[in-house]
Amino acid sequence: MVERETALDLLRTMWRIRCFEERVAKLHHSLQVHGLVHLSIGSEGVAAGVCRQLRDDDAVYSGHRAHGHALAKGAPMNRVMAELMGRSAGLCQGLGGSMHLVDTAHGLMGATGVVGGNLPMAAGDALASRLRGEDRVTVVFFGDGAVQAGHFNETVNLAALWELPLIFVCENNGMAEFTPRSAHTKVARVIDVVAPYDFERQLVEGSDVGAVWTAFGAYLDGARAGKGPFLLECSTHRRSGHYEGDQQSYRDALEDAEWAKLDPIARLEAVAMKRGWIDEQAAQRLTAEADAEVDEAVRFGRDSPPLTAEQAARLVYASPE
Amino acid sequence: MAREIPYIAAVNEAIAQEMTRDDTVVFYGQDVAPSDEDPLVKSFGRDRVRVSPISETAEIGMAVGLALAGYRPIVELLMAEFMLVAMNQVTNEAPRLRYMSGGQVKVPLVLKAGYGFTAGWAGQHTGSIYTMFAGVPGLKVVLPSTPADAKGLMAAAVRDDNPVVYLMHYLLVLEHGDVPEGEHLVPIGEAAIRRPGNDVTIVATGWTVGKALQAAEALASEGIDAEVIDPRSLQPLDMPAILTSVEKTGHLVLADQATRHASAASIIAAEVAEHGFGYLKAPIKLVTALDATIPYSEPMEAFVLPDETKIAGAVREVLGTASAVA
Amino acid sequence: MSTAELSDERLIWMFTQMLRIREFEERVKRTFEDHPGVIRGHTHLADGAEASIVGSLATLKDGDQLLTTYRCHGYPITLGTDTKAMMAEIYGRKDGLCGGYGGSMHLCDPGRGFLGTSGIVGQGIPHATGAAFAAQLRKEGQVVLCFFGDGASKQGAFHESLNLASLWKLPVVYIMENNGYNVATHSEQEDANAANGEPLSVKAKAYSMPGVTVDGTDPLEVYETVSTAVQRARGGQGPTLIESKVYRLSAHGNLIAPPGVPLHYPEHEAITVFGNREEYEAALRGDPVPRFRMRLVEQGTLDADRADAIAKEVTEEMDAAVQFGLDSPFPEPEAATNFVYA
Repeated sequence: MVERETALDLLRTMWRIRCFEERVAKLHHSLQVHGLVHLSIGSEGVAAGVCRQLRDDDAVYSGHRAHGHALAKGAPMNRVMAELMGRSAGLCQGLGGSMHLVDTAHGLMGATGVVGGNLPMAAGDALASRLRGEDRVTVVFFGDGAVQAGHFNETVNLAALWELPLIFVCENNGMAEFTPRSAHTKVARVIDVVAPYDFERQLVEGSDVGAVWTAFGAYLDGARAGKGPFLLECSTHRRSGHYEGDQQSYRDALEDAEWAKLDPIARLEAVAMKRGWIDEQAAQRLTAEADAEVDEAVRFGRDSPPLTAEQAARLVYASPE
Repeated sequence: MAREIPYIAAVNEAIAQEMTRDDTVVFYGQDVAPSDEDPLVKSFGRDRVRVSPISETAEIGMAVGLALAGYRPIVELLMAEFMLVAMNQVTNEAPRLRYMSGGQVKVPLVLKAGYGFTAGWAGQHTGSIYTMFAGVPGLKVVLPSTPADAKGLMAAAVRDDNPVVYLMHYLLVLEHGDVPEGEHLVPIGEAAIRRPGNDVTIVATGWTVGKALQAAEALASEGIDAEVIDPRSLQPLDMPAILTSVEKTGHLVLADQATRHASAASIIAAEVAEHGFGYLKAPIKLVTALDATIPYSEPMEAFVLPDETKIAGAVREVLGTASAVA
Repeated sequence: MSTAELSDERLIWMFTQMLRIREFEERVKRTFEDHPGVIRGHTHLADGAEASIVGSLATLKDGDQLLTTYRCHGYPITLGTDTKAMMAEIYGRKDGLCGGYGGSMHLCDPGRGFLGTSGIVGQGIPHATGAAFAAQLRKEGQVVLCFFGDGASKQGAFHESLNLASLWKLPVVYIMENNGYNVATHSEQEDANAANGEPLSVKAKAYSMPGVTVDGTDPLEVYETVSTAVQRARGGQGPTLIESKVYRLSAHGNLIAPPGVPLHYPEHEAITVFGNREEYEAALRGDPVPRFRMRLVEQGTLDADRADAIAKEVTEEMDAAVQFGLDSPFPEPEAATNFVYA
């Protein structure tokens, strides 16, 4: 179990993500955020437990479900919101959108909409750290659906062969888009898929953010010391549909009591309250603060104009400075 | 100081010189220096020169990651078709990341491969598929046709801050030519006039440049003075040079080893039709491969490919002199 | 069917096929010296892999199918494809197996179950998986053999296909012919399992299917192992990954050079790249073809005279194949645009 300070920081981080995501759902519904968005409700524990231990110069590669990773890694919330709204003050000046959140100042190096496309990139990035002899670490987030893609295997083989300082973090929510994992593969646990490469790996409950924190922390120390790769599989529950607008006719809704057991925020709050680290009012304050920050982010986004075509055209190619 | 060396040596010289100049340049791929005695390994060590497995998606995707993290990788892909396995990384990731990040990142990398090996390598190894890459914003595509350009474009590709598809031609690897010894750079996006002329413009790529020059020789004896232009890069494409030539000659023949709708010829033809219509005194003519998978057997293979006879024939047609040489 | 149930005639048949493959491949190689310019492009020989090929194909029944890599000559030879047509194809002639369209890397004989090849490493694996899918739908008890090399196991297509085949219990047997090299690179340089001294069959675990390693230079061991896998597939229990360890006795392929440079077969990469002549000579001493002959003669299955007679017939068959190829006309150039579309 984590210390009090850490627990409160993790709760704060998770509430920020939760409130942000819930607001994005509403904004999407009212068409103020458009296109394809994929929410992290239910997996905040993994984003927080992993990213809050990283430095700005450590690299994170994520995929289409990246809002939580971005916020936990330190991307300013108002700039993330502006990006989702397609505004020039957004992280990527409105050119990337929800699935392509990049914030190099905070080490958020790449996010791709193509499942698993980020895996080999993260390996290359880890190789760079190795070549420079740095203790900088690369983390790549991916879902259980990416594990069946050919490039997952290619990347795992190379990372193991070249012993890269790369930490694979798999958020296994048991669903790949609209079908359960059992329709995609016989092998239920991702740690079993990489077993032939025999590097350190473990499975933790993603809703137990303390367990995520501890397990990841050990791998982080190892990677900084030049060891690797590592794989941390976190079982999570994807509360929303695959994307916003998904009717979810393919699965049964969870009972509230069941959800409480799988909700990383509810779980940590229960523990924190039991230990007297927070009380009801403090918890409500956390939520209110998060909501206020989200309100401010929405205003910030709305106030920013979109990029012009001429400005965008200059960004197609890099030219010498 | 120039001396004659083969095309393939010129490519390798550029790689070695760039790796010496900039220690963020790394080189890997299948069968790249498997032996520790290889000169590249001896010069730069096993960190920077590696052999990798047949894992194109990982090899190219890792190049993207290396580039994002401040390195400049060159990936040896051997043959252009092997990039097809990893098309997502080549066309949907590497060239798009800078743009989608709003300019925060850049992806300097070189994807090196050979193409067009129409020497009986049959259907899956002999294609000219460069337009699959040339239409993707964010990617650059270069096709050197001489040893000097092979060196100069490789050096330029390595120094370019964008992903570059560097396609060397397998039929040209042993062609000798003058190559400057020291640093030699050819700007990407600048065409070369291989043979100045006044009567007709022939734009040719890669291996067809040599064919066009042979056609020009034959035509010269008929009193036809052909200007042969080699664009050298397909993206960016030096349309101003081509338009200037067409304005002078009024006639245009385009030679390309790819099949018609996948050729640089059809791209250039459209550009001239739109921006140079007033210069033309006759319709444009394309001389490309026929629409078939390249066959193995030699007479069939030769049949589908462009050659100097077909190019010269096309020139006579656009000049209206075809019937004069029956 | 276990090897104990193999009749003498069947064993002699297996030896004969191994010899036919060896002699065919030798003649291909010799064509580069005897008739320069006749073979163009790139050829890849199966010498050294005969036991693995024949031991595998001996398990098949009518209706079973297979797909292979570009190193494909040995399989149709064993299936009974006309070696004259095969040689003519390699020589680019009109009467070639594929009319001169494909060449050495792209042989096929769908009528005998050989559905084809891919020239791109690993890309035939999903093809075979799909053929097995069709076999499953047809419910006629067919099985598909999928041949590929150790280099292919690093391709994404390997991963994707084996996962699906296992999940859907497809009737396919994946046979990885591990010759320890990917062209000029050792497996240990490019494979994490090999680098750690593990057999490549451990990869099967990631797909929840059985993985087994077998000595690919012993045709009866191969037969036994592949039989088990074939029965499993036929019985609806799904795929198996078999790692068949072989050593190729020629270089990866003939020299790669542009037109004008004579093509030939260089020495094996063990010597030319790694300077390890001893490794190559040890493999020569373990040559599966004479070893199997000696074993059959020693156990009384085959007498020396009959063995010699077989060798003589095989030599004559391949002489005829070469001559047929040389005598065959080239296709009409205009034929190049046929068969683009069905």
